[in-house]
Amino acid sequence: MDRKKLYKGWEEQASKELRDKNLEDHFWETPEGIKVKPLYTEDDLQKISHEIGVPGLPPYTRGPRATMYTNRPWTIRQYAGFSTAEESNKFYKEGLKNGVMGLSVAFDLATHRGYDSDHPRVVADVGNAGVAIDSIEDMNLLFDGIPLDQMSVSMTMNGAVIPVLASFIASGEEQGCPREKLTGTIQNDILKEFMVRNTFIFPPKPSMRIVADIIEYTSKKMPKFNSISISGYHMQEAGANQVQELAYTLADGKEYIKSALERGLNIDEFAPRLSFFWSIGMNFFMEIAKMRAARYMWSKIVKQFNPKNDRSLALRTHCQTSGVSLMEQDAYNNIVRTTIEAMAAVMGGTQSLHTNSFDEALALPTKFSARIARNTQLIISEETGICNVIDPLAGSYYVESLTSSIVEESQKLINEIDEVGGMVKAIEMGIPKMRIEESSAKRQARVDSNEETIVGVNKYKPTEKQEINILSIDNEEVRKRQVSRLQNIKNSRNNKTVESFIEKIKNAANSDGNLLEICIEASKNRCTVGEMTSAMESVFGRHNLSTKTISGVYKNSVKNDGKIDIIDNELSKFVNKKGRRPRMLVVKMGQDGHDRGAKLIATAFSDLGFDVDIGPLFQTPEEAAKQAIENDAHVIGVSTLAAGHKTLVPLLMESLKNNEANYIKVICGGVIPPDDYPFLYDLGVSKVFGPGTNIQEAAIEIINLL
Amino acid sequence: MKLKSYLKLFKISNIDFSKEIGISSVSLSRYISGERLPEKKILNKIFKLTDGLVDANDFFLSSSSSRDLSEIHKEEIKKMVLNIREGKLKDLAKAITLIESSLKLHNAQADFLLSKFKQNKNSLRVGITGVPGVGKSTFIETFGMSLIDLGFKVAVLAIDPSSKRTGGSILGDKTRMMKLSVNKNAFIRPSPSQGNLGGVAKRTSESIRCLEEAGFNIIFIETMGVGQAETTVYDMVDIFLVLLLPSGGDELQGIKKGIIEMADVIIINKADGNLKNTAEITMSEYKNAQNMISNIREDISPEVFLCSSTESFGITKIWNFIRKFEKIRRDNGSFYKTRIKQQTKAIWRNIIMQSQDYIENNLKYKDSVKKIIKDVEKNNFDVNNASKIIFDSILKRNT
Ligand code: B12
Ligand SMILES: Nc1nc2c(ncn2[C@@H]2O[C@H](COP(=O)(O)OP(=O)(O)O)[C@@H](O)[C@H]2O)c(=O)[nH]1
Ligand SMILES: [Mg+2]
Repeated sequence: MDRKKLYKGWEEQASKELRDKNLEDHFWETPEGIKVKPLYTEDDLQKISHEIGVPGLPPYTRGPRATMYTNRPWTIRQYAGFSTAEESNKFYKEGLKNGVMGLSVAFDLATHRGYDSDHPRVVADVGNAGVAIDSIEDMNLLFDGIPLDQMSVSMTMNGAVIPVLASFIASGEEQGCPREKLTGTIQNDILKEFMVRNTFIFPPKPSMRIVADIIEYTSKKMPKFNSISISGYHMQEAGANQVQELAYTLADGKEYIKSALERGLNIDEFAPRLSFFWSIGMNFFMEIAKMRAARYMWSKIVKQFNPKNDRSLALRTHCQTSGVSLMEQDAYNNIVRTTIEAMAAVMGGTQSLHTNSFDEALALPTKFSARIARNTQLIISEETGICNVIDPLAGSYYVESLTSSIVEESQKLINEIDEVGGMVKAIEMGIPKMRIEESSAKRQARVDSNEETIVGVNKYKPTEKQEINILSIDNEEVRKRQVSRLQNIKNSRNNKTVESFIEKIKNAANSDGNLLEICIEASKNRCTVGEMTSAMESVFGRHNLSTKTISGVYKNSVKNDGKIDIIDNELSKFVNKKGRRPRMLVVKMGQDGHDRGAKLIATAFSDLGFDVDIGPLFQTPEEAAKQAIENDAHVIGVSTLAAGHKTLVPLLMESLKNNEANYIKVICGGVIPPDDYPFLYDLGVSKVFGPGTNIQEAAIEIINLL
Repeated sequence: MKLKSYLKLFKISNIDFSKEIGISSVSLSRYISGERLPEKKILNKIFKLTDGLVDANDFFLSSSSSRDLSEIHKEEIKKMVLNIREGKLKDLAKAITLIESSLKLHNAQADFLLSKFKQNKNSLRVGITGVPGVGKSTFIETFGMSLIDLGFKVAVLAIDPSSKRTGGSILGDKTRMMKLSVNKNAFIRPSPSQGNLGGVAKRTSESIRCLEEAGFNIIFIETMGVGQAETTVYDMVDIFLVLLLPSGGDELQGIKKGIIEMADVIIINKADGNLKNTAEITMSEYKNAQNMISNIREDISPEVFLCSSTESFGITKIWNFIRKFEKIRRDNGSFYKTRIKQQTKAIWRNIIMQSQDYIENNLKYKDSVKKIIKDVEKNNFDVNNASKIIFDSILKRNT
């Protein structure tokens, strides 16, 4: 039958069902700006611009392996780490007994930022948001009883990547596993740190050199180890939409290829060992299309560098379900969300997967929540039959069409980056970060004005409070233990040798010696992560991020449902009484680099009419107090997500008191378990705003508070 | 103005004044105290004698002048003055808030506070302008830290543009002044401009005096190099620095020619990395342009410098020039003379600002004025007549 006639018939029928409404009104414009139609047909398949192909062959749109899950399912790899190495080691073993197939280490923020546990700037950070690793001794404990020649280990480490990877390699050898046998991945993706993840240490230039040192070393000496995990995950979590995530990540990848080539490496020596990392959110089909588009585009990008080996063109990836999609309110809903996201990752053809726990927005997972997260994958893998067919959505009118749209939209963003001279340049100019923050502000505006539904948060709110047991870490105790272990190491090692290694590291930093190679030896001789970092820091310097802010995006995207008028009204009353607008200093203290919330609060509150001061990342409580006093802020808004609040907020209050500045109010926001609220209120904190806070309602409360 | 205040201001005794009008000094005291009201003939005489400063309204309308502070308020402020001199940041910060406040009471408190301050002759006030992103805050960070190492106490007033539409602002300069902002010999205060640049100028020059009283001897004023903020800042500093990017002409940088002409020092910032060459070209361009206008200044010609704020390059040369500049101007007396001229300018600027304020917030809302304007719109009244009547009403000092 004539297709044209057929579709015409559908249109007429659909219009009838819609009565006076227009079919065009049923087009969905996604946050990426892609127009999705209500129906896709064979015609759409004719218009796609990418090649579909077959799995295991270029351009790999359908998957990097010919057999995919039909031969072996994806690797269940749960990201975990907390407290001391011994505690984390126990947790890993428990997981491995119950279905986990690969390890993924989460380090604490002190380690990320290259500070030993006894450094004064990390009193609130040791062991809190990951495991504390100060030296090879800690590494040995972390992998005690886990044979590294059989277990693939992924490590999320970027800032202190040299000393940490070095300690890992050295620890493997002390365990009896030679370096060429080590399997796994080091994240080693510094570019996205400057953009969204914020655990950089050195300025961009020396940081890129370090990336190349690692690619060079592993490609020569560790053939089974992935030298880098080029990550879009953190971008989406920081607010990027899927097109931005894809485009900026591929652009980062291009940059890494260029710097490895500049090192004199051959493309086929290292390209097969580059891996990727995506976040998988709630937009089910978009995520699947993104993963397919990514494989297609990467193969085209690498092709430009003329590889001989087809494996160089294949994109392999790890995925993690999205943490930001998970809510504190009605937390069991998160199990459902994670399941849907995990399905998307699998349909998209991931090589390994982490599923989040339902207590994601409260704290690190407990044994119980971690078990459910793990089982989510086991159920998909072993109960559904999904693994029996490769790339099951290929050929779908919708999915293929969406894949093409994503390819086209991402290409535009990549072109923009190319025009300014590549990702390093673009990051220096702050372009991607600004774009991502715009997306984040738009999203919040949609949620705040109920245009986007989050079940249990802005719709169908639960009437009863659920009690959820959460993991709580006695960070003071962990710190004491780490400090005494450090003391022991420093007393028992040969300090002369250590000093000579520190000198060697400095020399290598100053010349073109391979920093990883030297640090492996230094680790074996008990140089600590902090010592190796400060040796490099003495040459490279420590990088400060210059904070840029956006304005107007929130206000322009929000629908005024009356709250804005209330705020305007309250504000003018306030100004008439106090002679100026309410002034709020938004601070980030400690090594917590989660700045999405803080940036959002700052831009949205200023859009709403507050005078907002924004502090730099990594402040100490004393510095925050000084800034609040000088600026004469009415209120300090502490944004805290990495569990430092119980140490840092008391210090802030004390610092205000010492300066006779108790008249400055303090409020807190971020990931704060409800059990901690009384503790904060007792200290004199006026109000706590948890995840899912509606910003306009918060603004009204704050004006009234002042 | 009240007669009492008039006599006090011009230092005229009651007896002398009563003689001039031809009444007894007892009657005069009664008029002053409000016990009796002067009759028409006497009112006219007083009006003429005082050049119009004291008129009938001053006798008939009781004043609710917020300029009269209560004793409690005065005591508070006096304590504040002492604390500021002692270096308490909290009080310094609060003082600036009073100055910036839109409340009459706060302004009265601020006036009282300022009246307690001495003139400071040793400080150096440095204006810094340039387009957003040129590196002003970063320059101040690097330059300021090196001055602190030399033993100076450094203060920074950063004027941020408020968004006009919502009136709120987002102030992030301190994130570019990481070391300076935590140093105990530094004080940084970013202020929202709230769209009112005249207001900024008034408030900023008063804030400068607070900082000087607190012992800060180098004071930076950072403003955006767009709009008119920089001309107002120019009129309150001893030396004016313009920061430029290593590229293109003024148009390209969105900078007006006039600003270049005001500059005492031109700094090509970001002369590092692959911008170094461009910076050198830019420098020679400006040097050439400078030759054509440098004759405006008799004592010391403006100079152009290359600088990298992130790599601390060029900082010492700039400081040496500033010192030379200051010395020459102090020696030839123009340093202090300029400050006095700036004060006179400030008087007129304040008057214009207050008139504008009165027009915007008061006059435009008067029923009579609204009616006249309606009539003009309907062609019942001509523009000249209308403006004349409205202007007269200003002169009549309606409250
Ligand atoms: C996004 C995210 C990230 C992003 C951060 C991107 C960025 N630039 O911010 C990425 C992926 C990079 C990341 C990394 C890490 N993360 Co993270 N991350 C999250 C996640 C999923 C969401 C946080 C978020 O941005 N939400 C959206 C914003 C808008 O919400 P919000 O910040 O809560 O703010 C709202 C309210 O809280 C409130 N609010 C917040 N601040 C303020 C301030 C004021 C004044 C007011 C009025 C209101 C207010 O209003 C806001 C609007 O509603 C949370 C879990 C979760 N769902 O909350 C984990 C979480 C915070 N991360 C966690 C961890 C451990 C990490 C890592 C340390 C992991 C590791 N070991 O490597 C790293 C290190 C990052 C670093 N440098 O610090 C843990 C912290 C554990 C804990 N507290 O005990 C969490 C809780 C997840 C978990 N359960 O394991 N993360
Ligand atoms: N390369 C380089 N970058 C600089 C220099 N000075 C400032 N910057 C960068 O330029 C950006 C804007 O600087 P900022 O001081 O905030 O500019 P302002 O808006 O003029 O105050 C920041 O990212 C700085 O790190 C410099 O001398 N060289
Ligand atoms: Mg600035």
